Amino acid sequence: MSEPFEPKIVGLLCSWCAYAGADTAGVSRVQYPPNLRIVRVMCSGRVDPLFVARAFEHGADGVLVAGCHPGDCHYLSGNNYAEERFAKFAQLLDFFGLDQRRFKLAWVSGSEGARFAAIVAEMTEELRALGPLELKVQ
Amino acid sequence: MTTALETQLRSRAHDLLAEGVVELFLGYRQGSNPLRVAPFVARTPLETAKLVWNAVCVPNLAGTLAKHAGQRIGVALKACDAQSVRELLKLNQLERSRLYLIGIGCAGMADPAAITDAAPGRVTGLAEAGPDLVLTTADDVVRRERGTLLLTKCATCTGMPTDFCDEWLGEAPPAPPAVPAERFAAVQALATLAPPERLAFWSEHLSRCTLCYACQTVCPLCFCKECALTLERDHPRRQAREPMTIFAYHLMRAYHLADRCTGCDECSRVCPEDIPLNLICRKLEQDRSQV
Repeated sequence: MSEPFEPKIVGLLCSWCAYAGADTAGVSRVQYPPNLRIVRVMCSGRVDPLFVARAFEHGADGVLVAGCHPGDCHYLSGNNYAEERFAKFAQLLDFFGLDQRRFKLAWVSGSEGARFAAIVAEMTEELRALGPLELKVQ
Repeated sequence: MTTALETQLRSRAHDLLAEGVVELFLGYRQGSNPLRVAPFVARTPLETAKLVWNAVCVPNLAGTLAKHAGQRIGVALKACDAQSVRELLKLNQLERSRLYLIGIGCAGMADPAAITDAAPGRVTGLAEAGPDLVLTTADDVVRRERGTLLLTKCATCTGMPTDFCDEWLGEAPPAPPAVPAERFAAVQALATLAPPERLAFWSEHLSRCTLCYACQTVCPLCFCKECALTLERDHPRRQAREPMTIFAYHLMRAYHLADRCTGCDECSRVCPEDIPLNLICRKLEQDRSQV
């Protein structure tokens, strides 16, 4: 008997917007899949691509990094740095052949609970279809 | 046999050390066989007699140079080394006023592996004759065209940075050629594959990786005192060599070198498992040229 595949997603959420957005989703009782494991960080600019690589290494099937909308960063420019950094990082993920859908950078404000739920639901669906991240040893 | 360039280099190094312009002079000495050279630091004018310059001076001297940072040091640079030194200067790892840079008109370095394949036996001697290399083996002397034995990076060399060196030896540098398209041919071929095929390609190559970190040790631009990516020898994750651990290491190494890598291909040269790490370097270079 095989259970249907449920992806594990690590969510690195900025404390001021995306984490608050997740909270809003909870408070307003919006349903979203329980596949997301949330880690609160102070800013999306705090997220080193190494965190993402380590998450994959330790068994995550997907990683979501979410922060404030451009221009709304609590620290003025943290999310701009995050955007630049992860644009480069995503190119490299693609170069190594890791599916682009396994990594997502999203902007969610504190009031966008429904949007947060939609992003998580969409990503979970994509990853369910994609299957687990398994690298075979040849 | 000593080439004119070698003699010139020795005498310049001798004079620089004798006049006290530099405390050290960095070049190459003959290695354990005719197809190998090793970085060598001459400290006295007498020691400059050990310096060599031949067709297999492949190692990048920029890394060795950075280890001696702080001293007044002269160095013989070929184009790719000069690119790395320029990058190190940009990142404040070296002080320009303490360096004396001698640019060498480099006709491209030959690949020792290609020479071994081209020779009819074990190569016991290597000399240059015009555009040819003269290979001596136990019972034969053969001439092979240098152009056919070049390293891939040399076949598509992007040239010496302009107005960079203090002086020139050998032929004046040709104008930097436009970046040849074939430099990125392998990367482009990889880019046309579907992601799963690319993953298969890298899985195949990276599954050989033993996490020896030779690529990181040799890289002239990996100069952090402590590396966030290296694991202790007895670390369970290093011993288990899970595929994703290896992927994460190479992925992050590429990310850290994203705007530093100068494409000297030292990583793929030293890799004991012959992983085509130079593809990663080319990819970074290509991405930068598109920004």
